[in-house]
Amino acid sequence: MTVKEQLKKIIVEELNLEEISPEEIEDDAPLFGEGLGLDSLDAVEIVVLLEKHFGVEIKSLDEGREAFRSINTLAAYIEERMPR
Amino acid sequence: MSGPFPVAITGMGCICAPGDTVGECMDALFRERKDPALPLRFTSSHSISYPVFEVSNDLMSLEPRGITDITRTGRLALFAAHEAISNAGLDQELETMRGQRVGVCVGTTVGTTMNNEDFYRQYLKGEQPDMVQIIRLLNSNPAAVIAREFDLCGPCQTVVNACSSGTDAIGLGASWIKAGLCDIVLAGGTDELCHVTYNGFISLMIADDSPCKPFDKERKGLNLGEGAAILVLESENSRRSRNKKARAFVLGYGASCDAYHFTAPHPEGRGLRRAIGEAIALGNITTDNIAFVNAHGTGTPDNDRTESMVLADMLPGVPFLSTKGYTGHTLGAAGAIEAVFSVACLEMGRIPRNAGFSTPDPDLPVTPADTEMVVKGPVALSESLAFGGHNAVLAFGIDRGLS
Amino acid sequence: MKLAIRGVGAVGGFGCGLEALNAALSSGDHKTKHVVVKTAQGPCEMPAYLADTSRLEYFLNKRALRRVDHYSRMALLGAYLALEDAGRLDEDRSRMGIIIASGYGPGRATLVFLDTFIHDGDGLSSPTSFSNSVQNAAAANISILLNITGPGLTVGQLEMSVPSALIAASLWLEEGKVDSVLFGAVDEYHDELGYFWHRFFGEKATADHEMKPFEFDLQTGIPGEGAAFFLLTRADEGVSPYGCIEDVIINRCDRSPLEIPKDALLFIGADGHKQCGKYYKEHLPENVQLACYTPIYGSLPMGPAFDMAIAALSFKQGMIFPSQACTGDERALDVNRITCLKISGSGEAGLISLIKGN
Repeated sequence: MTVKEQLKKIIVEELNLEEISPEEIEDDAPLFGEGLGLDSLDAVEIVVLLEKHFGVEIKSLDEGREAFRSINTLAAYIEERMPR
Repeated sequence: MSGPFPVAITGMGCICAPGDTVGECMDALFRERKDPALPLRFTSSHSISYPVFEVSNDLMSLEPRGITDITRTGRLALFAAHEAISNAGLDQELETMRGQRVGVCVGTTVGTTMNNEDFYRQYLKGEQPDMVQIIRLLNSNPAAVIAREFDLCGPCQTVVNACSSGTDAIGLGASWIKAGLCDIVLAGGTDELCHVTYNGFISLMIADDSPCKPFDKERKGLNLGEGAAILVLESENSRRSRNKKARAFVLGYGASCDAYHFTAPHPEGRGLRRAIGEAIALGNITTDNIAFVNAHGTGTPDNDRTESMVLADMLPGVPFLSTKGYTGHTLGAAGAIEAVFSVACLEMGRIPRNAGFSTPDPDLPVTPADTEMVVKGPVALSESLAFGGHNAVLAFGIDRGLS
Repeated sequence: MKLAIRGVGAVGGFGCGLEALNAALSSGDHKTKHVVVKTAQGPCEMPAYLADTSRLEYFLNKRALRRVDHYSRMALLGAYLALEDAGRLDEDRSRMGIIIASGYGPGRATLVFLDTFIHDGDGLSSPTSFSNSVQNAAAANISILLNITGPGLTVGQLEMSVPSALIAASLWLEEGKVDSVLFGAVDEYHDELGYFWHRFFGEKATADHEMKPFEFDLQTGIPGEGAAFFLLTRADEGVSPYGCIEDVIINRCDRSPLEIPKDALLFIGADGHKQCGKYYKEHLPENVQLACYTPIYGSLPMGPAFDMAIAALSFKQGMIFPSQACTGDERALDVNRITCLKISGSGEAGLISLIKGN
């Protein structure tokens, strides 16, 4: 599974987005606000999920702001930092 | 709206990181702040360290009446209650007090929910944990602990409104007096620092890994603290019958729900505006009379932004400060501890500086007291904002022809 | 000050809604299920009264509920049912307050949060789980999803939670702080609570049995869960078929005699706990008409709220439902006042009196 696919699966399962399937999330759609409609509590949960599943740590939300735009940006952020 | 106020405050007790008594706390607030330190009562495996404001007193010298095995949260409440009772001169009149309708209304974060980590770890391992830990929890409901200590039989209420619990408990207790339900109410808040909430606030990414900086440009979040404060609220009949002067009065109380988000305040401060408006209206307070505002000021980016915006709009020019830089955020105790500070500052006619503030944030329309200040006016407001979008505001007044 | 009950919502071991409660009361069916408790000797079955919240999806979509746990779902369902019952689901709620009474609070959510860092380390504590474990979680979820912008309060006072919290409802209405209060009580069963029961009561909890609330010397309790909600207003808004809450008294039964109105039918909240039973045995006045419905909903600190719901239903239907103490079939209600009495394990007594009409 690619990082993007893993990410979508994790987001749908761990944030309980029962009404959509991972495949329905578009790679470049905004995750927050309009788009997937996630909020600030989801953001901090995603920080924990990234560390848990990918070993990637985000120290502050400011640091993660750019990365949190879409699946594309998030996957790129993870791939750059993932321990190999 | 018929106002349930004013209600006299005839005694106060307080324990938190700056000191074990109201006097010690106020002395400390007007000196330089003591920095928070790493927690001593528990360890954690976070990659970054988050300092806290712990109370050094282990409180084991307290000997609770009846059931002696109670939690630290219960002990903190008792410690503050004893000071308050003695400050109100009621320690000489405990027998009389037992014949009166004395209520207890105390805020805390956890009423009687099982959150004992040691017990749960043993349970998960399939061991046979000692039930003493659960019995202790069942026996440590803070309002019940105080009622048992002084053998009181009036209404007992533990308010679990998260971070506004202490403020709400005082507002609710005051309304019991005014409605004639009680002659005396011991009202306040209590909370011990615990590993569970420590992890919770860190996970929300609203804990600062350095001393907190309320309203500062560089603020990154809160430091947790612990403590308790109890106020003796008393009816005019009871107070006059024992010729007791009021230290101050609860003039008004406002509360509201943002109905917006679980962990973020309403961006326009909708609920906070309503709570401030209600407290002011109930007390017939003109804004010229407000000496200062004790802000919630946790040091999180969102809280301080919302609060400063509302203060700039509703109470322009009124000095404000957060004391969280001295105490940390003591959660369910915060509103009560800050109620004590507010009354004491009104009595002294001055407020300490907002510890932790040095650089104004261009995004905030107003800045807090950056130096110790002489304040005029007989009224102080104290604000609390809580998880779940709950807001609570108290108005206090000192003797200006009210007594 | 009198509080008129405009709507009632209840969910518990008896089912969902007033019809289910009514049916369980009429038939006297005790709908316990079996739960499995983990013990040092291995898994062990135990009876419990459990609540099903699937009906909530009729009011809210999955998206709105994605972070809402069982505890808050029971409360939300109770809240929606009470507002629907009052015909006030579509009203503006800016002058409404929300009050929640709970003995044990969100117990499961608290441990779910502990699970996250016990299993994965402190650094992986889940912020979402932490939010759910906050004690005012139910009040917060309800105020957000129903847009209630008046004051909010959550009270945690074990068995006295309901009478204690009612004081605030009464004062808010009397002071004019609000025009209505959505008042609810909720308690949750979870595996660890079952474990406590097993440790405290052993076979008396785990053996298949029925509750015998009038056998005051015996431990016959069965854990329950559920929520009961009421839409309350000032009484001068007009007569309500459910009647009014006339008075709430909290006292200690070892300090002063129970102040039970002479002409009242007394619902006792004895729920099979020996430690509380001794106080009922000692302090119940003689020559008073008694009923007890705890075998319909189980043992739980918020039980007095179920008794209030049953009292309200009794006024509306004009009948007394059968219970062990007033054996026989349903019969016509011949009193205008019902007092719900709960005594805690340490002897605190809460009395909630309801009267017919206003």
